[in-house]
Amino acid sequence: MSPTLIGVIGIVLMIAIFFSRMPIAYVMAIIGFLGFSYLTSFHAGLKLLSRDIYDVYSSYGLIVIPLFVLMGQIAFNAGISQRLYSVAYKFVGRIRGGLAMATVWACTAFGAVCGSGPGTAATMATVAIPEMKRYGYGDELATGSVASGGGLGMLMPPSIVLIVYGVLTQQSIGKLFIAGIIPALFITAWFCLAIYFYCKVRPEQGPQGEKFTIIEMLASLKDLWETLAVFLIVMGGLFAGFFTPTEAGAVGSLGVLLVGVGERQLSWKGFVKSLYEALRTSCMVLLLVAGSVIFGHFLAVTRIPFEIADWVGGLNLPPWGIMAAIILIYLLGGCFIDALALIMLTIPIFYPVVIQLGYDPIWFGVIIVLVTQMGVITPPVGINVYVVNGIANDIPLEKIFKGIFPFLFALIVGTGFLVAFPQIVMFLPNVMK
Amino acid sequence: MKRFIELVNASVSASKILGAACLTGMMLLTCSDVVGRIFGHPILGTEEIVGLMAALAMGAAMPYAHAEHAHVGVDMLVKGLSPKKQAMIDTITNGLAFILFLLMGWQTWLYAGELKKSGQVSLTLELPSYYVVYFVSLCFFIFCAVILVDVFKNLQKAVNA
Repeated sequence: MSPTLIGVIGIVLMIAIFFSRMPIAYVMAIIGFLGFSYLTSFHAGLKLLSRDIYDVYSSYGLIVIPLFVLMGQIAFNAGISQRLYSVAYKFVGRIRGGLAMATVWACTAFGAVCGSGPGTAATMATVAIPEMKRYGYGDELATGSVASGGGLGMLMPPSIVLIVYGVLTQQSIGKLFIAGIIPALFITAWFCLAIYFYCKVRPEQGPQGEKFTIIEMLASLKDLWETLAVFLIVMGGLFAGFFTPTEAGAVGSLGVLLVGVGERQLSWKGFVKSLYEALRTSCMVLLLVAGSVIFGHFLAVTRIPFEIADWVGGLNLPPWGIMAAIILIYLLGGCFIDALALIMLTIPIFYPVVIQLGYDPIWFGVIIVLVTQMGVITPPVGINVYVVNGIANDIPLEKIFKGIFPFLFALIVGTGFLVAFPQIVMFLPNVMK
Repeated sequence: MKRFIELVNASVSASKILGAACLTGMMLLTCSDVVGRIFGHPILGTEEIVGLMAALAMGAAMPYAHAEHAHVGVDMLVKGLSPKKQAMIDTITNGLAFILFLLMGWQTWLYAGELKKSGQVSLTLELPSYYVVYFVSLCFFIFCAVILVDVFKNLQKAVNA
């Protein structure tokens, strides 16, 4: 059997084992190890296991992940999400569907300190769903806005998915972060538009909220200072070249910790909980990276990525046609596999193709995050939907999936714009040059 | 069996506390280095120490993350099956994971031995990293014990269902 055929068998087997509920990281490592051992030697495969995992765990480039996850956890336990939500509510609460719009904006703002999509969804669901229910909002709009808005945490810097993409493709994490800002705000605006039209058609889903005076609105802004200050210090230091991404994560974590303690919002118990949660999430992400690195080594010896890149290069299709096919694969894959796992699994295959076609790797990173963001809200996997359902467990899953549709439509249209006009994504990174 | 489970749980708790301490240390040391740099006195070898602490933290987090079901999987097909079949599938997949991580633990132990033998140390502070590699290897064995407990529990479920 040729190495390419072995590679194809390995991929098919891996996808089949995915459906056994076995953790994706473990499956990638097992298939990667067995395939690599078969094609080289058992001894080489065993060596690969220990070296790859230890290299990932001790990599200075990847330390950024636990530190940014810690920052998000401390922000959550310090109640920053609650304050963001209340500010957003004061500004847009009086509009029909305004609470849902406030939720989406608060999700974007919280994503700026959190870095994780499901993390943002879980945090905002706890804060926003009871409030929306109190004001008579429909279950569909309430849960749909949180699950979809939570996905914005994957795009708004510091995004864990973009960090992993940057590490795997050797792209600047700073540039990827800055490239994510405009698309995140752009998609937030599309979500608000979707809420506005949804409430026009189904007014019972989003009744008008309280009206606040301009003075009350402006006074509420003081609750935003801590998020803004931490975001500006972390991102400013990173873009100015004063911090490395790892240092930015450490400074951000300590910054949020000091704000939480200073405002008497973070207890010792909350801090310890943040540490444990950060450990748990980071281990999940880094084991996925290790699994993907082991699997990537197997793919490299099969030569599949190079064969595919050559094959695609020889196709009689325009580059945008190939890009559309890749996006479609991500969209379909995102329906079944976790976003981060999907990106790690496919980067060794698609990244060389994208580079060969002449697309900008920074732009591609943002686009695949957007496309996999669709995956986190679409059935059957839709992790954000399950996270929201886990918190609002009195609302049936079908209702939440139904509530997703206006947002999914907005996300598809918004992503279409960013694919058609790459200059929107590349504006800030180009300014940085 | 009860004693074994208690021992595994105690090991998971201890490694979790050590991991949390390392994570805090990483944050504080990196920030101290940044502040020191502002005043012209960066802390020598910060990257090395933080890298070693990260390996300790992530190694220590492995048993805890598995015990807390932190890892993502695709369960849409399996959850439709009967409890007995689910338990049987979980027993097989956990058994495979046990073998994988046992191999990883063994190989990491050998790797630590190689590093010790070659006298390899870090570039700036000349720290011997093999201690950390031995610790990570130990964490793999605790991790395997956690998986083994899961295998027993699933076997029990499969038999009783």
